[in-house]
Amino acid sequence: MGDTELELSPAHQQEALQKSLSTSSLSLSTSSSLSLPSSPSSGPSALPASPSISTSTSGDGGLPLTSSSSPSLDVITEGVGELSVVIDPEVAKLACQEVLQKVKLQKGELEVALPKELIEVTLAVTKTPTLANGVATHVRDEPVDLVPVKVGGCSGEEEELEQASASPSSGSGKSTRRRLKQPNSSKQSWLLRLFESKLFDVSMAISYLYNSKEPGVQAYIGNRLFSFAYEDVDFYLPQLLNMYINMDEDVGDAIKPYVVHRCRQSISFSLQCAWLLGAYSSDMHISTQRHSRGTKLRKLILSDELKPAGSRLRPPVPYPPPMATVLHHEHSLSPSKRTHQRSKSDATVSISLSSNLKRTASNPKVEANQDEPVRLTPQREFIKSLMGIGKRLATLPTKEQKTQRLISELSLLNHKLPARVWLPTAAFDHHVVRVPHTQAVVLNSKDKAPYLIYVEVLECENFETSNVPVRIPETRIRSTRSVENLPDCGITAEQRATSFYPVPNYDNDDEAWSVDDIGELQVELPEIHTNSCDNISQFSVDSITSQESKEPIFIAAGDIRRRLSEQLAHTPTTFRRDPEDPSAVALKEPWQEKVRRIREGSPYGHFPNWRLLSVIVKCGDDLRQELLAYQVLKQLQCIWEQERVPLWIKPYKILVISSDSGMIEPVVNAVSIHQVKKQSQLSLLDYFLQEHGNYTTEAFLTAQRNFVQSCAGYCLICYLLQVKDRHNGNILLDSEGHIIHIDFGFILSSSPRNLGFETSAFKLTSEFVDVMGGLDGDMFNYYKMLMLQGLIAARKHMEKVVQIVEIMQQGSQLPCFHGSSTIRYLKERFHMSLTEEQLQVLVEQMVDGSMRSITTKLYDGFQYLTNGIM
Amino acid sequence: MQQRGCVLPLSEEEEEEEEEDEEEEEEEEEGEKKTAMAQVEKKVGLLGLRTSSSKKPLKEKVVLMYDDIFARDDPAISNPRFWDELFLMKVNLEYLEAKLESLDGDEVLKIKNNINSLFHHCIQALGEEHQIKVVNALQTLCALFRGVHRKNKSATGFDIINMLMGFDKAELRMKDLMERLDSLLCGDGSESLKSLCLKLLLCLVTVTDNISQNTILEYVMINSIFEAILQILSDVSSRSQHGYDAVVLLALLVNYRKYESVNPYIVKLSIVDDEPTLDGMGMVVHQALTEYNRQYKDKEEENQGGFLSALSSMVGSMFVADADEKLSVQTNEAILLALYEAVHLNRNFITVLAQSHPEIDMAATSIDPVPTTPTTPLGTTPPSLDLMNSAELPLDPNLQTSNLLITFLKYSSIVMQDTKDEHRLNSARLCLIILTCIAEDQYADAFLHDDNMNFRVNLHRMPMRHRKKTADKNSPSRPLVCAVLDLMVEFIVTHMMKDFPMDLYMHCVQIIHKLICYQKKCRVRLHYTWRELWSALINLLKFFLSNETTLLVKHNIFHMALQVINLFNMFITYGDTFLPTPNSYDELYYEIVRMHQVFDNLYCMVLRVSTNAGQWKEPASKVTHALINIRAIINHFSPKIESYAAVNHISQLSEDQVLEVVRSNYDTLTLKLQDGLDQFERYSEQPKETAFFKELVRSISLNVRRNVSLNTLSQDVLLKEFSSIS
Repeated sequence: MGDTELELSPAHQQEALQKSLSTSSLSLSTSSSLSLPSSPSSGPSALPASPSISTSTSGDGGLPLTSSSSPSLDVITEGVGELSVVIDPEVAKLACQEVLQKVKLQKGELEVALPKELIEVTLAVTKTPTLANGVATHVRDEPVDLVPVKVGGCSGEEEELEQASASPSSGSGKSTRRRLKQPNSSKQSWLLRLFESKLFDVSMAISYLYNSKEPGVQAYIGNRLFSFAYEDVDFYLPQLLNMYINMDEDVGDAIKPYVVHRCRQSISFSLQCAWLLGAYSSDMHISTQRHSRGTKLRKLILSDELKPAGSRLRPPVPYPPPMATVLHHEHSLSPSKRTHQRSKSDATVSISLSSNLKRTASNPKVEANQDEPVRLTPQREFIKSLMGIGKRLATLPTKEQKTQRLISELSLLNHKLPARVWLPTAAFDHHVVRVPHTQAVVLNSKDKAPYLIYVEVLECENFETSNVPVRIPETRIRSTRSVENLPDCGITAEQRATSFYPVPNYDNDDEAWSVDDIGELQVELPEIHTNSCDNISQFSVDSITSQESKEPIFIAAGDIRRRLSEQLAHTPTTFRRDPEDPSAVALKEPWQEKVRRIREGSPYGHFPNWRLLSVIVKCGDDLRQELLAYQVLKQLQCIWEQERVPLWIKPYKILVISSDSGMIEPVVNAVSIHQVKKQSQLSLLDYFLQEHGNYTTEAFLTAQRNFVQSCAGYCLICYLLQVKDRHNGNILLDSEGHIIHIDFGFILSSSPRNLGFETSAFKLTSEFVDVMGGLDGDMFNYYKMLMLQGLIAARKHMEKVVQIVEIMQQGSQLPCFHGSSTIRYLKERFHMSLTEEQLQVLVEQMVDGSMRSITTKLYDGFQYLTNGIM
Repeated sequence: MQQRGCVLPLSEEEEEEEEEDEEEEEEEEEGEKKTAMAQVEKKVGLLGLRTSSSKKPLKEKVVLMYDDIFARDDPAISNPRFWDELFLMKVNLEYLEAKLESLDGDEVLKIKNNINSLFHHCIQALGEEHQIKVVNALQTLCALFRGVHRKNKSATGFDIINMLMGFDKAELRMKDLMERLDSLLCGDGSESLKSLCLKLLLCLVTVTDNISQNTILEYVMINSIFEAILQILSDVSSRSQHGYDAVVLLALLVNYRKYESVNPYIVKLSIVDDEPTLDGMGMVVHQALTEYNRQYKDKEEENQGGFLSALSSMVGSMFVADADEKLSVQTNEAILLALYEAVHLNRNFITVLAQSHPEIDMAATSIDPVPTTPTTPLGTTPPSLDLMNSAELPLDPNLQTSNLLITFLKYSSIVMQDTKDEHRLNSARLCLIILTCIAEDQYADAFLHDDNMNFRVNLHRMPMRHRKKTADKNSPSRPLVCAVLDLMVEFIVTHMMKDFPMDLYMHCVQIIHKLICYQKKCRVRLHYTWRELWSALINLLKFFLSNETTLLVKHNIFHMALQVINLFNMFITYGDTFLPTPNSYDELYYEIVRMHQVFDNLYCMVLRVSTNAGQWKEPASKVTHALINIRAIINHFSPKIESYAAVNHISQLSEDQVLEVVRSNYDTLTLKLQDGLDQFERYSEQPKETAFFKELVRSISLNVRRNVSLNTLSQDVLLKEFSSIS
């Protein structure tokens, strides 16, 4: 029986599902959903939502889906604003309870009347790609008990329904949705319509999840998460997990299935969750922490029991049941674990769901224990060793020693690469193949030892399934060597005969020297090829001229001297090597240049999918605030982009690994203003002139515009987030003239050592103003105008920003949430009550204040005295 | 599973049966032995006296059995268990070797069958479960090889093979032997056994003075134990105990008939690319060299203690050098040879050189971890701590990061200090050859010049009259190539002696040339104080001039002078590609102009020689041509400087003033591009160094042979170790 059902096509599934639902005597009349009441009367805001409502009818009637007419953005946002006021949590609660009630009533009938069909349905459901584990496992466990189990709340029921709705075959989804709507009152429909509308995005979902006190609504949203794009949800992962850890049961239960589901799918998601769970649980008291749900989930993930669904199916006696079943036990009145498990394995055998199972059945041992335990291990080990290096570096007294040790530690790490490890900050799937250890630098920090490494990776389809590249020994790279091997690269045959001795006999052994072939292969590659051509031509000029023409060649000594000074003058922007500031040189080197250089020196450089990444490893630093700042920055960046305000900011990715370690994606082509000033000994403006050209040049003007746009962006950020500790070491300047603020260690309610410095809204030094062309210049006015536009745009979307911060405040001991008014003050800084004119005045005031502020200057002086930062 | 289940009990049964057999044997022997026991006890009592009294000791049973072998008849006829018993007896190496040595040609022929048989049974005993038998067989084999060779100094290899194994059986026997040794080395057996195996092999390899005349090695070539050696090196624990012997063995095997035939060990060594193994090899070398450096430092500190330090600076270098020499630690050419072969043959090994790890302080960790391990011969104790493979490096802020190359450079700086001793001369030469190979390798050059890999390398400098022993422990952290250049400059400055080591100087100058070629090609602008190099080279030329007559008797100083002048030409014509600053180019001119006297004299000398007919005519004329640019510079700037001084009424121009003149007068100077300045002869062992390496290997063989001692492994230790096993 199982086999035939397995072969059901999606169409069949729908049919079956529909059939079962319609026959299941649940009174789901199409008419009730069609006659959604009162929506037109509630004003224009209902309109945008209506298309999606109309689609919901199509399920039954077989009408084509009208995937139509997504309204313009402005309309959407307005609609949202109003809707959020309209919805009444009480109503939602009522609605959900009603649903629950119905289900309870009907379950008895169902069970008796249509067990077989139900099995079919649920089987079909399990085959849909976005299956919920709860449902799927349960089906296998106790086919007959399917519905009765879902008594613990409406969550179970809705979960199942949501599964269907989330599946690509929207037909079944629509039909199930009616169930939810069925008992609706007029107000209830508002909430439902919002939830089903296209406007309903992750941000809103998170907001409702957080604000709604309704288990029903929370559970619905928990299910609804499945329907969002992974990337969208991932952005809110810290919020989701913080809610899971620190909020009540219901929210946790709503979130857990989604998290578990994603963990099963992805190693990197699993690790990300585990790290975040660990980090956000750390503020709890030790005793509660040990038993908290966050810690439990973390343990579960790290125990690697959340394996992909396929391998989950094998006879699993020795270890605790997978997450989903545990979930069920918590909520179900069903029989004991023992029977549950046995029946589960029975079911697995009889139904034999997939080819995976066949493989496990015929070859039980192989699948069960061989490669599974190492699913998460390599990456965890990799991260662990990177952190270990950081810890050990911190014990060394000088930068020089740190650097040397870093290099030697990394060279040892290199021995273990390539491996199935990756940098979580990267945007694409890859395997790490090599750490060019000599390129690593220790960053400036007084007592911690953050360091920056470059990492060579090979891009791949999927790092979980693609093969790990084979290790290539270091010496196999010979881009320069290949030049030597080229015939006629400057050495005439005659000359070679004299300069190369007859090779010893073992040299002729092809096998012995087959290593060379790889070196020669290098030449074929376009990039390296051009490069070696350069070398060749250089080489030829140097010696052929003197070789072939018998007439003596004369050169002027003056030319040599001139070339020397010219070539040296040509690279004025490289920084001097400073043992006390080893990162300056490394960071100053243009990224492309560095990539080319490292690629040339790498044995993997010839692969077309070779990429260079970099990452800052921080050990002993809490990056949770940084992550929060990243999220806020990212959100504001999106808002400004959406509102077409040309503010420029650069949120850099943060990976929180624990409450005191993590990784940061470095900003490429950027050095701190401190380094700029120390190395160049110029004012910022003069440095701009030196780097980009004279006032009137295109390059300078572009750089200046970039500077203004980024400055305005970061001034707003600094104001809104109350970013403190703004000294020149924490402000980067990139090669295009943008400034980038880094280090968000003091934001919102926290400030360094509570010295009360930096009372100004943001940092605006006269040097900055000089670069902008002075107080009276057009660019300075542009700067103020940008700030105003940016503030207006941010204000419009305040909720989206505040929400991020607010959720993270839950249960947090982070200094940025110190005091009770953090959120209130944050909201106040958006000045919702002010008119645009008033805002403009405000911006003027802030700029003036910052300009006049002595504290900024004073603070710089303070930093110089204490940290030697200019 | 089921199958396994069946097999296992079976094999256990078999084993049991075997064990029973053995027990029976032993019981039988017990009876026999009982009579002998009394003798043995007596002998033990006498043992202490044996050395002092000339009284002939009572013969042990084993000696009696040896006598049986040296009798004509097959000893197994009278006693069928003869061979079984033999290997249960403690070997008397001295007696066996002496006996073999005492035989002359005819006698040997008579007992050839018995010796063949002994050899054969030795090999068979190697496969025994009973480890005592294996140990005894290994030692007996060793005695056989040594005894036979000692006897037959003049005899051809074939005679020896015939005598030991018999022509017809030789191939088979040696195959068996090598296979047995291989499995002993690779198995998880006792470490002492492995150590013995390696010693047997070392013994076999070094029985002849000239390794290439050791015909038995032909079988070692065919039945390679290369893989076993690699395995020892790749494993941390076995490497720490046997790594040294393994590396020395490998170095020797590589040198077997290396110029005449295809040596499989050369081929195999050149293609190894397994990093743990290569690292292991590097670690062994690194530790041996570190140990040497440490011992030297200790000695040096000893010497400097007390009033002597004050005295020594006055008395001068001679005395101190002598004292040093007397006390000096024996150089270790074997390990250096191994390093050379690895660097020379295996490209992948180059990465190992740069593999950084913390400096190993041998003093802190010299406590031998395994008491049963015999002390390794050749002066080094086996390193007890293997830091390379411990996943985490030790946490000691005072520990300086080091790598094999740094250690090697330090070692070189010590060895090069004094080259009067033949061993040290050889070592210094080998060091320079290794550096030549390194300087030629692109990858090595890349990390030598890597701006991100900065190290402080404290080279040892010879105490000399005219300079204080530099106590600058704070040498700046620089790319490694600076240390190499420093070492070369140091060598150039300190070896201008009557017994001029021309070859070493040649290597030295070539290394510099190769490094500069790399810098030119890759446009590496090294921040190095080139001035020191220039003045060292100019001093060398000066030395040639003042010692022309004595040097010319032995050496072609013109070739050397040409090399030096061409180095200057590199700087003059290609300086724009690798000099760090425009100023450094000015300084080059300044230095040349300042020292113009030397160049003028050199020109006069080479001109004189090249105009006279004679053997130096041609090389000397080459130097005259090479001097063109330098002479042009001198001729161009000297008058300018003089007139500047005249115009400004300054008698003595300051450096800055001269530089100013130089800077303002470039444009009127034309130089001639010289041929092939940036090309060099690649290093090749053949034919130039062939003789050197033959001699070197010979001396290493002698040294190893002298130091391989099997007796260090006392029977007591073995018995203790094996009591639990058997």
